[in-house]
Amino acid sequence: MKFWAIRVGSILLAVLVSYGIGMVAQGSSGTVSRLIALAGLYVTLAVSLNLINGITGQFSIGHAAFYQVGSYTAAFLASQLLARGTINNLGTPIPWVLAAVGIAIVTSGIAGFLIGLPSLRLRGDYLAIVTLGFGEILRIIIQNTPQLGGSYGINSPKAFVVPYVWMLAFLCIGACRNLLQTAHGLSFLSVREDEVASGAMGVNVTRVKVAAFVLGSAFAGAAGALLTFNEGFINVNSFTMDVSFIILTMVVLGGTGSITGSIIAALALFTLPEFLRDAPPMPLNAVLGTLAGVALLVGTIRLALDQKKLGRDFLTPKTYMGFGIAAVGGVIVSILANFLPALANRTIPSAELRMVIFSAVLVIMMLLRPQGIFGHREFGLGSIFKRAQA
Amino acid sequence: MLQVKDINVYYGAIQAINNVSLEVEKGEIVAIIGSNGAGKSTLMRTLSGLLRTRSGAIRFLDEDITDLEPDAIVRRGISQSPEGRKIFTNMSVHENLLIGATTRTDAQGIKEDMEHVLERFPRLRERLKQNAGTLSGGEQQMLAIGRALMSQPKLLLLDEPSMGLAPNLVAEIFDIITDVKAEGVTVLVVEQNAHKALGIADRAYVLETGSLVLQGTGQELLHSDKVREAYLGG
Amino acid sequence: MIDPLSLTAGLDATALPQQLLNGLMFGAIYALVALGYTMVYGVLKLINFAHGEVFMIGAYTALFVSWQMGYFQGASGLTRATNPGILILMLITAMVVCGFLGVLIERFAYRPMRKQPRIASLITAIGVSMLLQYGGALVLPVSPPRSILEQVNPYDGNLSIPLKPRDGELNAAFAKAKEAEAAAKATLEQRIKQEGVSSEFDLSDEGKQIRSASQSAAQATRDAENKYLASGMSLNIPYGQGIMFLATLALMGLLTYLVMFTKTGRQMRAVAHDFDSASLMGINVDKIVTITFIIGSSLAGAGAMMCATFLGTQLTSFVGVPWGVKAFVAAVLGGIGNIPGAVLGGLLIGVAETMVVWAGGSQYKDAIAFVILILVLLVKPGGLLGSAKVEKV
Repeated sequence: MKFWAIRVGSILLAVLVSYGIGMVAQGSSGTVSRLIALAGLYVTLAVSLNLINGITGQFSIGHAAFYQVGSYTAAFLASQLLARGTINNLGTPIPWVLAAVGIAIVTSGIAGFLIGLPSLRLRGDYLAIVTLGFGEILRIIIQNTPQLGGSYGINSPKAFVVPYVWMLAFLCIGACRNLLQTAHGLSFLSVREDEVASGAMGVNVTRVKVAAFVLGSAFAGAAGALLTFNEGFINVNSFTMDVSFIILTMVVLGGTGSITGSIIAALALFTLPEFLRDAPPMPLNAVLGTLAGVALLVGTIRLALDQKKLGRDFLTPKTYMGFGIAAVGGVIVSILANFLPALANRTIPSAELRMVIFSAVLVIMMLLRPQGIFGHREFGLGSIFKRAQA
Repeated sequence: MLQVKDINVYYGAIQAINNVSLEVEKGEIVAIIGSNGAGKSTLMRTLSGLLRTRSGAIRFLDEDITDLEPDAIVRRGISQSPEGRKIFTNMSVHENLLIGATTRTDAQGIKEDMEHVLERFPRLRERLKQNAGTLSGGEQQMLAIGRALMSQPKLLLLDEPSMGLAPNLVAEIFDIITDVKAEGVTVLVVEQNAHKALGIADRAYVLETGSLVLQGTGQELLHSDKVREAYLGG
Repeated sequence: MIDPLSLTAGLDATALPQQLLNGLMFGAIYALVALGYTMVYGVLKLINFAHGEVFMIGAYTALFVSWQMGYFQGASGLTRATNPGILILMLITAMVVCGFLGVLIERFAYRPMRKQPRIASLITAIGVSMLLQYGGALVLPVSPPRSILEQVNPYDGNLSIPLKPRDGELNAAFAKAKEAEAAAKATLEQRIKQEGVSSEFDLSDEGKQIRSASQSAAQATRDAENKYLASGMSLNIPYGQGIMFLATLALMGLLTYLVMFTKTGRQMRAVAHDFDSASLMGINVDKIVTITFIIGSSLAGAGAMMCATFLGTQLTSFVGVPWGVKAFVAAVLGGIGNIPGAVLGGLLIGVAETMVVWAGGSQYKDAIAFVILILVLLVKPGGLLGSAKVEKV
C-alpha cells in the first residue's frame, strides 16, 4: 500500500516538475529553452548509457548511434507526414510527436538488440570498437541516403517538447533506479562484477546483457526523437564520435554505475561550456600558460594523493616544490608563447575555448578522482536522512 | 643480511601484514610457513618492492631498500621466483632464462650461468627452444627457479615452490633448494607444505593472519606441538 | 594524391592490379600507425586514443620543417628539390617530435592512472586526444589543400612496370590519328595566317568547318591514345609513393627485429605479458613503457610525414581522427596487442578501401573498415591473429 503510494506520488511529482521546467522554458528566450531541453536529453543519454556501461559493465562507447537512430526515425516520419500534408511546416502536433517517439523507441531498441548480440561474444575493448564502428557505419549510410537528407540534413517541423524531454529523463532515472532495487537489477549488477560466477548462480547472462543494451538504446532513441522536434533540423554532425565520448565521459565522471553521478555530471558538463559562450576573448599566451601550469599542478597533486594512500604525508617539501614548479612553469610557457611570432599577441574568442577547457577538465578530473564524483554510490534524499540519523 | 623491522602493509583499508619483523643471515635457508591467506605472498611482494609498506623498514646488506623500485632491488641482489611461477609463456625457455639476467651486462658471465642452470636442470636444456607455455608444471617451476638464479642473486626468494606439484617433484624441488644453498646463495622460502619446508630450513617463522606468531630453528618448529597441530596434520 | 577514380571508371578489371598496389600503399601507412596502438595496448592494455593526435602533430612538424626550408605556397622561385635531404630531415624531425610527445603524454596523463580502473584511463586518453585536437585548433594553421608542397620531393614521375604489352595495331592507329590531327592543325593555322584574324572571330562557313575539323581530329587522337593505352596493362608507382612504401616496410622490419631479437624487445614482451613478473626480473617497467611510447609514437610520426608528403593530405588539427580511428580498427582487426596482426590489419583495410572505391562506392570508403571489423569479430572475436599463442607486445 505504502509502496504504491510512494510510486504514484513520485510519478506525479515527476510529471509536475517536468511541466514546471516546461513553463520556465516557455517563459525564457529561445536559446535558454533549447538548452533546458538539451540538458534533459543529456541526462537521459548519460543515465541510459550508465545502464549498459556502469550497471552491466559492458564497454559500449558508441551511444550516439542509438541517439541517432531515434532522431532519424522521427525526422523521417515527420518528413513523410509533411509530404502527405498531415502536418504542416508550422509545427508538429504533440500526438504525432509522441507517436514518433514510440516508433523511435522500437527502431533504436532493435538497433540495440543487433549490437547487443555480438556483445555476447566480445569483451572489453573489442566490444567498444564495434559500438563505435556501428555509429560510423550508420553515419555514412545516412550521408548517402537522400531520403534521410544525405549529408545536408533533414527538416522536421518543431514542437515544444521540453516537458516531455524531462519526463523522459525522470522515467529513465526511475526505471534504472527501480531496476537496481529488484532481483532483476541485482542480476544486472552481478553481470558487471563477475560474468562467469553470475552465470553459475543461475543468472541468464545472455538475457541480461541484451536486455541492458535494448533498454539503454531505446531510451537514447526516445531522446533522439525529442531532439528532432526540439531542433527542427538534424544532420549527422549532431551524432559524431565526440558526442559518444561526451556521453561516456558523463557516465565515468559521475562514477560508473552511479545514477545520481551520471545526472550531476551530465548537467555539469553540459552547462560548463555554455558559461563560456559570453566570456570575453582571452590572450592566447595566458591560455597556454594556464594549461601548462594546471597540468603540472595536477600532476603534483596526483603524486601527493598516491603518497597519502600509503598513509604518508600529503604536504611534503616535494609537494610544495611541485606547486612552485607548476606556477613557474605556467609563467614560463606564457612568456615563451609570446616569443613565437605565430602565437604572439593573439586573443582567442572564449567560444573556441569551450572544448579545450572541457577536455582539460576531463583529464584533470580523471587524474584527481578516477573513480568519478560518486564512485558506485548513490546520493539522494534517503542517504542524507540516513547520514543525519547516524 | 636481510633485516625486516616492524613493517605494516595494507590493501586499501585492509591490513595484510601486521608489524612483521624478521631476519635472514647469510648462507641460511629461512622458511616462512603459514596457511592460505596468512599474508605470505604479500610479504614476498613487499620484500621485492611490488607493494609498499605503510611503516617499518627493510634493510639489505646494510642498505635501506624499503622504497626502492623492484628492478633496483633485483640489482641489489634479491631475486624472486613468484607464486604461481609466472613464467613468460609467450617466450622460449631460453628467452625466459635470458630475461632472468636482465640486470646483468657481462655476456660471458651470463653464458656461463646459463650453462650452469642447464646443467642443474637438464630437462630445460632439452626444451631450450620450446615455448615455455608448453612445459609441465614441474618444468615450469624449475624454469622459474633457474630464471631467478640467472640474476646471480645473493638472496633468493621462493614463493610456494611446491604448489601444485606431484610429491616426487616436490622432493626434487626441495633438493634443488638445498643445492642452491650449498653454492652460497641465501634462501628465503615461503611454503604451505610446512613439513618439507621445515625439513630443510635452518630457521623458520610461522605467519598467521599477517603476524609472525612463532619462530625457531627448522627442527624446533617441526617438533613444536603448535605447529604439528596447525600445519602438519596432528 | 592517389585518386583511384581517375584511373578507372566502373569495374575495369585491367585496373585491378594497380588498385591493389595503391591499396597496399595506403595500408602501409595504416599499419605503421596501427603498430603504435598495438604496442601501447600490449604493454598497458590501454587504447591510446591520443595516438591519432600524435599523428597529427607529426604531420604538422613535417609541414613546419618544409616551410622552414622555404617550401611554402607563394614562396618566390620555388623549384623542385634536387636531393632527398629535406625529406629525410622532415622524417627525422617528425619522428623525434612525436616520440617526445608520446613520452610526455605517457608520463603526465597515463602513468598516474596506471593503478586506476581501465575505463578511467580510457577517458583520460579521450580527454588528452580532445585537448590536442581543440587546443591544436587554436594554435595550428589550417593550410590550403596539399599542405606540404610537392616540390620537396625530388623524385618526380612514375615507375611504370608493364604487365601486358600494348596492341601494336592500335599504336599504328594512334600514330595515324596524330598525323591527321597535325594536318588539321596546320590547315587551321594557315587559315588564320591568311585571314589575319584569330580563329574565334572567323565566322565564315569555311572557317567554321576547318575549326571543327581540327577539334574533332584532336578528339580522335585522344580516343585513339586512350584505346592504345588501355590495350596494355602496367603498374604505375609514383616514385615518391614507392619510396614511402619501402620506407614503411623498412621501419616494420626494424621494429620486428627490435622486438624479437634484442634485449629491449625481450623486455618489452616480458612487460606485455605481466607487469609484476617483469619487474621481479629486474626490468625497469617505467623505462620499457617509455621506450614503447617512443617507438610507437615515432612510427606514427613517420606515417604522418609520409602521408602528408606523398599522399598530399590536407592538414587540420583534426586530421588525426580518421587516420587514428582506422589505424585503431586495423590493430583490433589483426588482434590488438599483436604486431604482425597490426600490419596485416592495416594492409587489409588499405586494400579494402581502394577496392570499394574501384567498385564505384567511393562514398562508402570510410565505412568499409568497420564493416570488415564487425564481420571478422563475429567469426573470430579475438581478431585475425589474436589468439593466445601468438607473440604479443
